[in-house]
Amino acid sequence: MTAWRVILALPAAAALAYAATRLADVPGDHWTSVLKWLVGGVLLHDGVIAPVVVGLGLLASRWLPAAWRAPAVVGLVCWGSLSLIAIPVLSGNGVDPTNSTLQDRPYVASWWIGAATTLALVVVAGWWRHRRIDA
Amino acid sequence: MSGLRLPRMEDFSHRLRGPQLTSRVGLWLGITLTITFLTGVWSHFQQDTPGWLTIPTQPYWLYRVTQGTHVVSGIAAIPLLLVKLWSVYPRLFRRPPWRPTRAMVLHGLERVSILALMASVIFQLATGLSNAAQWYPWAFDFRSMHYAVAWVFIGSLLIHVAVKLPVIRQALGEPIDGPDEPVDVDSGEPVDGSAEEPRPVAASGLSRRGLLRITWAASGLAVLATAGQALPWLRRVSVFGVTDGEGPQGVPVNKTAAEARIEPVDDSWRLEVTYAGTSRRFSLDELRGMPQASHDLPIACVEGWSGSGAWTGVPVADLVTAVGAPVDSRVFVASMQKRGAWRTSELPEQFVEDRRTLLALDLEGEPLHLDHGYPCRIIAPNRPGVLQTKWVQRLEVQA
Repeated sequence: MTAWRVILALPAAAALAYAATRLADVPGDHWTSVLKWLVGGVLLHDGVIAPVVVGLGLLASRWLPAAWRAPAVVGLVCWGSLSLIAIPVLSGNGVDPTNSTLQDRPYVASWWIGAATTLALVVVAGWWRHRRIDA
Repeated sequence: MSGLRLPRMEDFSHRLRGPQLTSRVGLWLGITLTITFLTGVWSHFQQDTPGWLTIPTQPYWLYRVTQGTHVVSGIAAIPLLLVKLWSVYPRLFRRPPWRPTRAMVLHGLERVSILALMASVIFQLATGLSNAAQWYPWAFDFRSMHYAVAWVFIGSLLIHVAVKLPVIRQALGEPIDGPDEPVDVDSGEPVDGSAEEPRPVAASGLSRRGLLRITWAASGLAVLATAGQALPWLRRVSVFGVTDGEGPQGVPVNKTAAEARIEPVDDSWRLEVTYAGTSRRFSLDELRGMPQASHDLPIACVEGWSGSGAWTGVPVADLVTAVGAPVDSRVFVASMQKRGAWRTSELPEQFVEDRRTLLALDLEGEPLHLDHGYPCRIIAPNRPGVLQTKWVQRLEVQA
C-alpha cells in the first residue's frame, strides 16, 4: 500500500509543480475571473445544487409513495444532469448570427420535449409500480 | 435557534450512500476524466507543439478522434461527478478533530486536496462545456487556463487516489449492496445515530446497484445527446450537440467570412509565395492550372465537433518546390483575415512533405464556399481546425 502511495504521490507532486509554473504565467488582472470560476463552481455545487437535491430527497422520503421513488430518481439524475450539460446551448450565448452551421438546433424546444417525456415516463412507471405493489 | 444549525454527517441518509457506491462511480469518473486529461494535453501539444515533439501526419483522422473523445468523455463524466459528489456530500460536514494533533493536520490537508480537486474538475468541465458552445463568460485566456488547471486536476486526483487507496480497495472488493450498517470510511466503525434505520430495498424501491445503473444510464444519455457533433451516425439523436453536421458543401463552419470581415476577392487577387528574399505570385487560374490532388480529410474543431469532405487543390509541397525551396521546409501561412488569434499558422516540415497537405481550391467538386476559405485554404491530415488556415494570402517558406 505504501509503495503504491509513493508511486502515485511522486507524479502528483510533479504535476502540481508544473501547474504552479503555468499559473505563475497568468496575468495579474485575469486572477479575479479565474478565482471566480474556481471557487464559484464549488460554492454553486455545495451551496445550491447539493442542498436542493438533498431537500428533494427529504421531500420524496416524506411525501412520495415508495413505488414512485425509483422512477423519480431516474428522472432527476438523467434529466437533471442533461439539463446542466445543455446550459451553454440553451442559454443562446455564443451564437454567431452570421453562422447558421453552429448551434443550429432547436435546443429549447428539445429541452421541453425531453422534460415532458421524462415526466410522463416517471408518472407511468410510478403508477405501474404502485399498482403492482398493491396487487 | 436550536432548529437552525449546520447539518452533521450523521444527519444524512446512509442507506444508498457509502464507499461501495462512491468507489464504483469514482472509478469510472477517474477513468473518463483521465481520458479527458490525456486527450486535452495532446490537443494542447497539437496547437502549441513543444520542441521535443514531432506531430505525425498520420493517421489523418487522429485529431478528429482525440478531440471528439476529449469532449465526449468530459460530458460523460458530468453525471458521474454529480452522483459521486452527492454520495460524499455528508462528509463536507464532518467535525474536524479539535485538538492540534497529527490527525487535525492530516484532516486539514485532505480537505485542501479535495478542494483543489473539486475546484479544478468543476472549472474544467464548466469552462470546457461553455467553450464548446463558443460562449466565453470570463476574462482569462481559455486555452492557457484550461491547460494549467488540467495539471492541478491530475495532481490532486493522484493525491486523492493515494489517500483513499485502502478505502477504495476494500469497497470495490465488497458486494455493492452488502452491509446495510453504515460505516465510517475513516475508522471502519459503524456510524451511530444514523438518521434512518436501514430499510429493505423493496420499500423504497432503490438499491445501490439500482442507483449505479441509473448513473451509467445518465452518463450514456449525455453522450447520446451530444456526441453526434463528432459521430455522423448519431446526429439525429444528439439534440444538444453544437452542430447537426450540415453546412455549405456538407461541412459546418467555425468562423464565417462575415465574422472574419472577409470580402470575396476579384480577378486581381494573387497568392504570394516567398522564399529566401524572392517572391512569386500566383493567380487563381495559375493555381488551377497546376497538377491537382484530391483527398478526403476531416475538419476537426477544438470545440469537439468534426466533419469531413473531399478537398481538391495544389499540394503545398509543389508550391514550395515552385519557388526553389527544399520540400522539407517549414511554411508560415498568413490569412487575409485582419484580426483574430488564428489568422496565421505554421506547417512543420513533415506536413509540408506530406502530399495530402493541400492548398485547397475546391470542396466536394465545387470552388470553396466563401465561409470555407475562398479562394484557397490549407487542409492537412491530423490538424486541429484552427490551424487549417482559411482565405490564404501568403505562404512564407522558411529558409
